[in-house]
Amino acid sequence: MSATDYNYDVFTGGQEDFLDFAMHAPKVTMRAPSFPVEELSTGETVEMKGFWKKGVTVIEFGSFT
Amino acid sequence: MEDLHARYADRAVRSVFIYTHEAHPGENYRHHTSMDDKRANAQAFVDHSNIRREMFLDDLDGSAHRTYGGLPNMTWIVGRGGFIHYKSAWTNSADVEDALNNVLDFQENRISNQWIPFYSERSAWSTRPIDKFREGLVRAGPQAVSDYEAMLEANKAKRAAPSEDVAPRVPGNFYKTEEEDGGR
Repeated sequence: MSATDYNYDVFTGGQEDFLDFAMHAPKVTMRAPSFPVEELSTGETVEMKGFWKKGVTVIEFGSFT
Repeated sequence: MEDLHARYADRAVRSVFIYTHEAHPGENYRHHTSMDDKRANAQAFVDHSNIRREMFLDDLDGSAHRTYGGLPNMTWIVGRGGFIHYKSAWTNSADVEDALNNVLDFQENRISNQWIPFYSERSAWSTRPIDKFREGLVRAGPQAVSDYEAMLEANKAKRAAPSEDVAPRVPGNFYKTEEEDGGR
């Protein structure tokens, strides 16, 4: 999926996304995937695996809209 | 979720928010064509909603978001070392807190109680704060409202009336009755 497709400009929705989440997203008891993410306040890029190095992490994904 | 973050911070629980694409882009908060767009909308969200959790941005391609399932408002709980304890298609703070207490209990007592983890799934339920949701669509702009209305109409045409088997029909519930599934 390209950045343009991912950042769609018209919402169409899709129940299929929820099925994909249940079927294909990582499962509980698996190891969490790690990606580089940018901290908004500092601009620093960090690896997600640093989140869970010392303890439990609650991760919410979302946007303003 | 902000309240949950405050109440569990002293129990070595880190709460982070990962900013994704715009779920319902509109005239006021457009889809992102650059990381600067993403930063600007994320900052507007932090300011408007008084977000005190650490805020991170996924890349413009949504690499992390798509790998974790790509839904608009998921929550995951990851234990020390990267063990996934909880994944939820929607964010419901009561459900997250219930799962979090379970995780903390496990991490604190697993050795003394000789507990071992195992895989389990369950459904969860939530109310739908539709007024607040629509308020967000209006804030995003008229296009966000009309796109959502169009999606509802399209889904209505596809979907039968709520059955006695499972109700209400909400995003994330992909249960089909035998009849809907062609008698299988």
